[in-house]
Amino acid sequence: MRRVRGWLLRLGGLFRRERREKDLATEIESHLQMHIQDHLRAGMSAEEARRQALIKLGGIEQTKEIYRQRRGLPVLETLFQDLRFAGRMLLKNPGFTAVVVLTIALGVGANAAIFSVVHAVLLKPLPYPESDRLVMVWEKVSLPNYQNDQNEPSPGNFADWRSQNSVFENLGAYRNRSFNLTGAGEPVRVEAEQVSAGLFSVLKVNAALGRVFTAEDDQPAGRHVVVMSDGLWKSRFGSNAKILSKTILLDGESYNVVGVMPPDFHFPDRNDQLWVPIAMTSQDLANHGSHFLLVTARLKRNVTLAQAQGDLNRLAQHLTELYPDTNTGVQAKVIALREEIAGPMRPVLVALFGAVGFVLLIVCANVASLLLGRASARHREIGIRIALGAGRIRILRQLLTESALLALLGCVFGLLFARWGILTLKLLNPPHIPRMDEIHIDTSVLFFSLAISVLAGFIFGVLPALQATRDNINDSLKEGARESAGGASLRTRNLLVILETALGVVVVIGAGLLLRSFLILERVPLGFQPRSVLTFRIIPRGERYSQLAGRTAFYQQAMERIEALPGVKSAAAVSFIPLTFARSSKGFSIEGRVAPAAGEIPMAAYDAVTPGYFGSLQISLQSGRDFSWGDTPQAQRVVIINKTMARTYWSGEDPLGKRIKFGTPDDPFPWWTIAGVVGDIREYDVLTAPRPTVYLPVSQADDSNYLLRDWVVRTNGDPLTIASSIPAAMRQVDPDLPVSRLRSLEQLRNISVAPQRFSLSLFGLFAALALVLAAVGIYGVMTYSVAQQTREIGIRIAMGARRGDVVKLVLGEGLRHAALGVILGLAGAFALTRLMERLLYGVRPTDPITFACVTLLLAGVALLACYLPARRRRAMRVDPIIALRHE
Amino acid sequence: MGERADVWQGTLALMVLKTLQALGPLHGYGIARRIEQTSGDLLAVNYGTLYPALLKLEQEGYISSEWGTSDNNRKAKYYKLTRAGRKQLDKEAREWEQTTEILARFLAPGKESA
Repeated sequence: MRRVRGWLLRLGGLFRRERREKDLATEIESHLQMHIQDHLRAGMSAEEARRQALIKLGGIEQTKEIYRQRRGLPVLETLFQDLRFAGRMLLKNPGFTAVVVLTIALGVGANAAIFSVVHAVLLKPLPYPESDRLVMVWEKVSLPNYQNDQNEPSPGNFADWRSQNSVFENLGAYRNRSFNLTGAGEPVRVEAEQVSAGLFSVLKVNAALGRVFTAEDDQPAGRHVVVMSDGLWKSRFGSNAKILSKTILLDGESYNVVGVMPPDFHFPDRNDQLWVPIAMTSQDLANHGSHFLLVTARLKRNVTLAQAQGDLNRLAQHLTELYPDTNTGVQAKVIALREEIAGPMRPVLVALFGAVGFVLLIVCANVASLLLGRASARHREIGIRIALGAGRIRILRQLLTESALLALLGCVFGLLFARWGILTLKLLNPPHIPRMDEIHIDTSVLFFSLAISVLAGFIFGVLPALQATRDNINDSLKEGARESAGGASLRTRNLLVILETALGVVVVIGAGLLLRSFLILERVPLGFQPRSVLTFRIIPRGERYSQLAGRTAFYQQAMERIEALPGVKSAAAVSFIPLTFARSSKGFSIEGRVAPAAGEIPMAAYDAVTPGYFGSLQISLQSGRDFSWGDTPQAQRVVIINKTMARTYWSGEDPLGKRIKFGTPDDPFPWWTIAGVVGDIREYDVLTAPRPTVYLPVSQADDSNYLLRDWVVRTNGDPLTIASSIPAAMRQVDPDLPVSRLRSLEQLRNISVAPQRFSLSLFGLFAALALVLAAVGIYGVMTYSVAQQTREIGIRIAMGARRGDVVKLVLGEGLRHAALGVILGLAGAFALTRLMERLLYGVRPTDPITFACVTLLLAGVALLACYLPARRRRAMRVDPIIALRHE
Repeated sequence: MGERADVWQGTLALMVLKTLQALGPLHGYGIARRIEQTSGDLLAVNYGTLYPALLKLEQEGYISSEWGTSDNNRKAKYYKLTRAGRKQLDKEAREWEQTTEILARFLAPGKESA
């Protein structure tokens, strides 16, 4: 206790130092005077009295020093002293300090920004209670003609998993849909989820206002109920708590609002605004054949993923025996929900994290090099301090304090950069990055930044500090000692140049590979012409459109209205426009062929379209004819297939006139006659290869599943100029149907390659940073090296060397180091780029073209960074006389 | 001066406390003189040892100090015993007596060996 008090007071002793110093001086002085007084009283002369007193009492200054050590905490005092000194040194060279702090800030900032994304997307638990027990359950299908690791489960499988598993607390199913919300301001289309009642209990989330669904809500006969998001409640209903006693109109039907979710709740998608019961019938729940659900489950406590997988494997086998027609080759697959969400981002983030790590190392090398350069300038200062008795450790500590201070300053500014970076990211809001709202600079990011800054400070500080204290004092105090001392530090700096060039090469090659695959991606033929096409979505739902005739009339009227707009060439509608949605596929049978074995039925994706769709998108018609409004339900049922389908199922035959049927030949479905073949298009994204596809004329597609949602409008010029006239035109057809997703097909195309563009931009940014830093590093060392060799160059020129020779000499040395760095970097890249294989498209990780281009680029940059100082700064202008007098 | 011993740190604290108990508030010089006199001038107290010891005692709360005026009108810092200091003095004095007693038994002219 007493001891603690002592320490606290000593800590206090660090402050109000002047006052304490004065007190001490007074006290000792009065002690001395009293002593002298006593001597005087004893009869000594004044001088003798003072002398004796001083002899007896010992050195006043030493006493004060001992006293001071007892008064404060010497360790801390030294630290403060070092910090003050470091601060003075940094202020004395504001240019140097600014360059170093900026360099560190760039490195730390890039790392902090990427880490905050990594942390939010990959590391943080999901924002649901005990989220580590949440999983997704998929079907894993392996059939001869269809394999999918993450197939959407059928309602039957969901129901059987739910009732027969022993590993889950509960399972919840959901599927996405959208509603036209009317009667609350402008009609608007809102994203919604149809969910089973168990979903909210799986997530362990309750409504903030009202309640979530009960089992009674989730019955086919149940009344219409809805739970809404906080966002929608605020924006459309003014956060009015009376909402719970109200109904809202969705697709023209009224729904009772039973609950409002908490503000930060979203599942599964950020954009979801409404949740309604999925209310599957017992018939639905016995259906093992159509696959359209998403299933989330909560593991029981202490059940591992592997145990859950084992239980589902057992169950799947059982289901296969029960339902061989539908469940042959169908297993189940469990994935942690967090992994499911983060999964696709992982390779990108890991690669980016690696790249910024390298950038930070380059930063360290650069700063170390700068500090080395300065250490040799401070050589004499350090020599003098050692001569005056400063210990080596003491000076090391002083120098390391300086680099720590630089690192911390860099950290502060770096965090500012990171903040800007994150704000920019949020502004761009790339749709493929999950959990965007959770990305911010929190304590973990702060700690991470602080840790890497301290580590970096140590890395770049220790080498120059060791170097500075290693040299012999005598050398450093001698005039003209700069040569030898500078030599040692120059060697170290050359090593650093090699290192940072190598690191730079690796990062630039990474960026180069991404650039190459992006360029290849951009050149992938889409099969349609996105230029000058406007797209938008309007969904005819409600009483008026429950029958095919009503829908067909709507499409025809809408088409007429749009085509009447000035600047419009043609318009057409489709179930889903390309590049937005993975279409479902169906099994089909071909007339006259032997029925295939179970699980080997041919599969095709399907889309319903209006006449003119292929023309509007400029999808080539290979043979046969386009649909027309004459393809009525009374006429012959016709379909158009794509080239891949023709090639797959009618190779060497003409598919025109052949008939197909969805399902098996015995199913009570109609036959469709193939009336045309069109070219392949990229339907889901730019990367996915085309698959067999059937197009149906919407005028004959009487199942309400074949709803046309999206419109394509080919225009004469910039499609966005007519965008504003679309909603008005549609209001004339039906004022209750909202228009959404108005954008050009080019914009959509850009969105579809946004993930690649995102990784390329960031990687490119970091590569540019690496390149600039490496160039600055080489430039700095070359400048320094030329300055060091002033004398040698002078002698050479005096001896008759031509300036060209001198330039060559200086240049040669710099380039040798750069070349060594490039070679090391190529080797490193060769070993490392395979880690980013999953980010590449159409390029091998060891793509020789990229490697060659990057080598040339780095060689060019190195040449420039060496040539400028060699030529302009010193070497050429050295006057031999001045050079020889240099010492 | 060589014949006079310096005081050990540990015992100096005890002597300071005892002095302050005996004489009441006193300045550093007074304490030093008193210790030297009491020791019959066998001990020499210089300020290099005295003042750090006083500071330590003050930091630990056994003594407190305030500025005052000495007999001959000089500004001086007066130290006085606190309550904690009095307790500590009792405790240390007891311990010290015990220690010296034990040592005395060891050093007493060889009763056992006789």
